[in-house]
Amino acid sequence: MEWNEIAKRITDPKDSPQKPEALEGVRVIDVSYGSFAGLFASSLLAEMGAEVIRIEPPEGDIARKYSPENLKVFDQGLAYFVESRNKYHITLNLEKEKGVEIFEKIVEKSDVFIHTFPRDYAERIGIDYESLKKINPMLIYCSIHTHGYEKGFNFGDYDVIAQAMSGFAYTTGIPEDYEEFPEHTRVPTKMGNWMGWYAGGAFAALSILAALISRDRNGEGCMIDLSPAEALMCLNNYALHFYHLTGKVIERSGNFEPAAYAYNYFRAKDGMVFIAGYTDPNWKALCTIIGREDLVEKYPTIKDRTNPKNWIPMTREIEKFTMQHTRKELLEIWLSYKGEGVTVAGEVLKPIETVEFEHWYERGALIKIRGDGKELIVQGVCQKMSETPPRVKWLGRKVGEDNSLIYRKLLGLDDKEMERLKKEGVI
Amino acid sequence: MKKLPLEGVRVLDVTRIIYGPWAATLLALLGAEVIHVEMPKSGDTLIRLVSPGGVFPRNLSPGMMCCNANKYFVAIDMRREEGKELIRKLAARCDVLMENFKPGTFDRWGIGYRQLSEINPKLIYVSMQGFGNWGELWERPSYDAYAQGITGLAEITGFEEAIPVKSQAWIGDFLSGTIAAFTTLAALYWRNKSGKGQFIDMSQAEVLMRAMDWTWLYISLTGENRKRYGNRDPAVVVSCIARAKDGFVAIAAVRDDEYLALCKAIGREELEKFVNYEKRVENSEEIYNAIEDWAKNKSVEEILREAEESGFAASRVMNSKNIYESEHYRKRNAVQIFFDPIYEELCYPFALHFSNADLKVLWSMRPVGFDNEHVFRRILGLSEEELRLLYEKEVIGKWDESIPTTAPPEGKEDKAFY
Repeated sequence: MEWNEIAKRITDPKDSPQKPEALEGVRVIDVSYGSFAGLFASSLLAEMGAEVIRIEPPEGDIARKYSPENLKVFDQGLAYFVESRNKYHITLNLEKEKGVEIFEKIVEKSDVFIHTFPRDYAERIGIDYESLKKINPMLIYCSIHTHGYEKGFNFGDYDVIAQAMSGFAYTTGIPEDYEEFPEHTRVPTKMGNWMGWYAGGAFAALSILAALISRDRNGEGCMIDLSPAEALMCLNNYALHFYHLTGKVIERSGNFEPAAYAYNYFRAKDGMVFIAGYTDPNWKALCTIIGREDLVEKYPTIKDRTNPKNWIPMTREIEKFTMQHTRKELLEIWLSYKGEGVTVAGEVLKPIETVEFEHWYERGALIKIRGDGKELIVQGVCQKMSETPPRVKWLGRKVGEDNSLIYRKLLGLDDKEMERLKKEGVI
Repeated sequence: MKKLPLEGVRVLDVTRIIYGPWAATLLALLGAEVIHVEMPKSGDTLIRLVSPGGVFPRNLSPGMMCCNANKYFVAIDMRREEGKELIRKLAARCDVLMENFKPGTFDRWGIGYRQLSEINPKLIYVSMQGFGNWGELWERPSYDAYAQGITGLAEITGFEEAIPVKSQAWIGDFLSGTIAAFTTLAALYWRNKSGKGQFIDMSQAEVLMRAMDWTWLYISLTGENRKRYGNRDPAVVVSCIARAKDGFVAIAAVRDDEYLALCKAIGREELEKFVNYEKRVENSEEIYNAIEDWAKNKSVEEILREAEESGFAASRVMNSKNIYESEHYRKRNAVQIFFDPIYEELCYPFALHFSNADLKVLWSMRPVGFDNEHVFRRILGLSEEELRLLYEKEVIGKWDESIPTTAPPEGKEDKAFY
């Protein structure tokens, strides 16, 4: 059997429901508010089998409303629906004393706690680390906020602030002097997706698991102070390292790569393609494919090719070839090259074209569900594991949908008590 | 001394370029012992030769230094049978193996998951690919910029009136590497309970797609493509980047109190009527226009001061100089300056802050094969004579003096600390 068939056999998501889950038995409380960093962190843990309990204020998390054109599926914003996966949803008013009292009882029985409040607010309502540590010394307390667990900031944890504070927006976008584009588009640019939040959530989930592994060994909980801005800063290549080394600020460069050429997008007949071939032998391979060995002589070294003055002239030369072909043809030409050196070509797609590959569905990276009388597409999981595959079990529970289930299970509350708490505005 | 979270975990990192090395570095920063394997002499040329302008100060490669901290560097020629045997011996003594060679390469070489899990059933084997080890696209090679291209991430970034823009940062590598490290720890947590290792198959394209928030639901619900919205967030209102007199600022006001504070600060109380969140989304164009009109006549400092006084979030669009000079980041140890025994004073960003462990960057990348003796003697117990033979047969090796970024700077040939 070929390796790829074996790999499929051992990681096929079809078999996931029969397999165990890596984080079974881990209870996570997520009270994040208005922040997809918190929601993504708890999604990653929930996909791995942790029991994630989302605590929202009685009116629901404002994050449920974030949606383009106010679009809704199952009464919630599109983004929240995606990150509602596998989570129990309960309500609790943490601004009431009774609410915090109930909250403390839940914390006693939990392993991980995630919030995205400013520190001052957490202290004011009594859910700061010092307070919760007393209730549960084994607790892994994860604070997520762009400015970190610091006093003096009153606002929420927002993606665009992380993109700006990390240096990421500064290095993304079209340079000022590329005058072929309108002026307002030649600016530092935020990523279209919420990259600050997703990076922050990924770092938070990573830190939480390291803390869990460590807790199993030394029996001690801890506090994780996670800033999505710092997480994204760590993902911004060598910008900071290079500034310290040379005193030079890395500027934005459109779709060019300041440290390597060719490693950028080129125009094709029907869109754009990415082409890489940046070390000397690989550059030579690229030039051989397009029948332009003269370019090897003209731009022979990495120094010549990473000189920003040469980027546009080199690109125009290569485009003389690529613009004669469709993206598909270019891919085939590159794949059929069997000579020396490694060079890669790939298509740049619109998301509406991306969804056409069967690849994502057979691997469970995208899944299809029914909703709103349509076939809807939503992210599945992005990792395959042979023994404990992550999975999506349910999506889209409503505000407080699991109140009776969770309050009964964790605190033994009966219907009468629940009714009273509801009247008091606690749940 | 306090223990680090992953102390006692050993990782064999046979990865190249950014994606794999970054995943392994995260584990190293969390306290794991990570052994990075390269080819003798030239090392990982696809990253050692990456630098803006092709300059390599102090023999450092900017491309490599940003994703290889706190690791031990060995060089093994895996094309040779004795080289493969060294990998098998190391894998037998490791908890995790990470690789990002073309799918099936390690299996063909007899050092894939099938073979290594027989030697070490507790091994967590992480294969990090562009599209994964199987499925319609499995044979396609990938790079970050291809992942940003094929997933549509570039297409949704930038302005509709211009072109799709990818991030200059290799986010397809860095974010996927971060998720790979997370997934590895999930497997490790389970292994500590069950005693069983496993195989992990990562696709960088799939990670980027996972992070593209409402894109896929939007497309399937409306039948329309997702546009580029430039610097205005259409779903989180207010969340934007605006031009100031002397730079750019990000502004966010989401909670009602933040939104009302913003309306007041920009002197546009009539926009308070959109405080209802759905109204805000509906009227976002008017709101963003008002903010941009206000910001363009102010300095960045003025805007930051007014945000602080009024109660909404704002930040300068910071560059590496601003970050380097930020007291906030220094105080939080998010900008770390340390002394590397080979490359001297360096500066790294950092985001792993634990109350019970003093995590930090200890050292940067290293020359090719720099830690051969340390690793092969201490972990495999090889004798002086065995090492000499392996060097003689060129199964293991060191750097190539003619390629500066593979070699130590002069006088630093023996400056490691362990």
